[in-house]
Amino acid sequence: MTHQIIVNSRTIDILAVLMLMSTIVLIGSSRLRVCIWAYALRSFVLALVSGLIAYFSGIHHIYVATGVSIALKVIVIPGFLFYIINKIKIKEDVESFINYTLSLFIACGLILIAYYSTQSILTFENVFMRHCLPVSLAITLLGFFVMISRKKAITQILGLLAMEDGLFFAALSTSYGMPLVVELGVFFDILVSVIIMGIYVYRIKETFDTIDTDTLRELRE
Amino acid sequence: MLIFWLLIIPLVTAGICVFIPKHSISKYVSIAGSFITFVYNIVLNCIAYKYHTLQGFDGFFYLDSLSILSTQIVSLVGFAAALYSSGYMEAELHDGEFSEKKLRWYYFLFHMFIFTMLSVCVCNNLGIMWVAMEATTLATTFLVGFYNKKPHHEAAWKYIIICTVGITLALFGVILTYHSAKGTLGGIGYALNWSELLKEADRFEPHLIRLAFLFILVGYGTKAGLAPMHTWLPDAHSQAPSPISALFSGVLLNCSMYGIIRYHILASKCVGAEYSGTLLMIFGFISILVSVPFIIVQKDFKRLLAFSSIEHIGIIALGFGFGGMYGVYGAGLHAFSHAIVKSLLFFCAGNVFLKYKTREIDNIKGAIKIIPVTGVMFLIGIFAITGTPPFNIFLSEFLILADGFSSGRPLAIIFCSLVTIALVLIFVGFVYNMFKMIFGFSEPNPEKGEVSKFTIVAMGFLLFFVLVVSIYVPPFLNKILQDIYNIVRNV
Repeated sequence: MTHQIIVNSRTIDILAVLMLMSTIVLIGSSRLRVCIWAYALRSFVLALVSGLIAYFSGIHHIYVATGVSIALKVIVIPGFLFYIINKIKIKEDVESFINYTLSLFIACGLILIAYYSTQSILTFENVFMRHCLPVSLAITLLGFFVMISRKKAITQILGLLAMEDGLFFAALSTSYGMPLVVELGVFFDILVSVIIMGIYVYRIKETFDTIDTDTLRELRE
Repeated sequence: MLIFWLLIIPLVTAGICVFIPKHSISKYVSIAGSFITFVYNIVLNCIAYKYHTLQGFDGFFYLDSLSILSTQIVSLVGFAAALYSSGYMEAELHDGEFSEKKLRWYYFLFHMFIFTMLSVCVCNNLGIMWVAMEATTLATTFLVGFYNKKPHHEAAWKYIIICTVGITLALFGVILTYHSAKGTLGGIGYALNWSELLKEADRFEPHLIRLAFLFILVGYGTKAGLAPMHTWLPDAHSQAPSPISALFSGVLLNCSMYGIIRYHILASKCVGAEYSGTLLMIFGFISILVSVPFIIVQKDFKRLLAFSSIEHIGIIALGFGFGGMYGVYGAGLHAFSHAIVKSLLFFCAGNVFLKYKTREIDNIKGAIKIIPVTGVMFLIGIFAITGTPPFNIFLSEFLILADGFSSGRPLAIIFCSLVTIALVLIFVGFVYNMFKMIFGFSEPNPEKGEVSKFTIVAMGFLLFFVLVVSIYVPPFLNKILQDIYNIVRNV
């Protein structure tokens, strides 16, 4: 049994690192399509983790969450984002307030902060989540960083999705996910919010002729 | 089952409204729907009041005095806003601001908004409460951007991005709470039910609960408009149609505050009231201070009202933060008074906007001559909201400050002294800016006469409650507020 748990947690650690790397792609890449693919990859890995946890823990309702997660976050949402960027024909480049090298350094700093700040909580936790909680917090922080540092509206959506992925991973690794009804509600909210944001990306493009959120500064004192 | 129907009524109303193309019919459907919600809610609350608490669907729904106060505010202001909408939106439709087809979606989203706010107040499961809280954002984004012009798009984008990020942080708080509860309650479905959590709260891991409360306060605080996370609020409030601004200010902020208070109670039981109370106090205090300069130098009257909402949500947070009998009682009373007075003011502001077609304070003169009924109500509202003695907000502010001074904590006393000065400055700013609009005279003025009868009825309805609560606190409300104190102190 202990052997199995160790193997299990090793696999999950590797998957966690994969997720973290695909989030770093979001920060380091200058191409929008690559960022969306990175999101799809991270969601797929997250679904794998949840499938693994369902298998090893024997809690069947996690399979349902895994299935919904694959359908929504690997297929529907990336598909929708590709549809939006094709429809509004935006330039491929991701524009940032901060250049890529500096962004990557900041990303390293955020990962360190995530590890450092969870140390006090981890002292009384089991081996299983030793790396999962810091990684999930790091993904959340990186998503937050992308939201505030990138200019394009669509990259802000990707940052938000990264934050949500990080939190899902935190919920999975700390407590085998939330109750099913809550998890389905959260999925529903994410889907609707991405759709509404997509519609607004389109409308902003139509009225402002750009999706740089930097131009949205008419309303101020 | 009883509570279930409370949620079904606005949902059905929303469903019907979307299929009625004619505004002459759909406005009555909308009014009827919100009136039934209002009446049904009173009946439901009487039952809940009689049995102290009411549960439904195996503990999925939960109604105690805290939720009674919140649902009461939602359904009361919701009914007034539905009445007001029919007059206001008809006038806008007449002016060609949007097509009649689009108006269906306004009513659909309006009632969905009411539905999601009621869900926040009656759901026992903290996860579902989170889902409902996020759903309030989703239901209202299109309402903020309803006029489909540049500034509306900007406001809507800021609104959905900032609020969703905030709410996402709150999800982390929910997850941490669930995790810390799992050890004692086991991984079963109801491990996120607030009533179950409260029973076991003293056995939770204090580290996790402290962290969870911080995330919840920042997350739901974003939606409540607590500074420094308030930046979406003035934009959204000023760009949304006036009835929606009233619902935002009067009701949505209270619902978010309600969410924070639920966690405040849990955290108080686990780590003592000191920790979460102090945090509430600090955020409330910052909110009051931040709003002062913006109220004094404001040029746009809807933004002025929006900043005043930030101030008042700060006062409510301060009241719960002090945590004494007077503080909590005052905070509850303040939430109710602020909801009705601020909605009244937004309705008046909407009527002024319809008449003058501008939100610039400097371009408006002599409102009391042009639209006398609105002008008089506006004047009453201004004195009520700034806490001038005969009105109810004076009482609640007085109670909260008295509680702060008498608590003997140095921090509370410093805060109270500064807040007293801030309140005086806000009074000056309000009177200075608003009197320019209400009085004075300038050519060319729009022609005399009110725009719509419906709007006057809606405002009169709210004014009635403002005056009643000003004269005395009805025994029913009094009992509920005392009960809220017991819930918050966990006696």
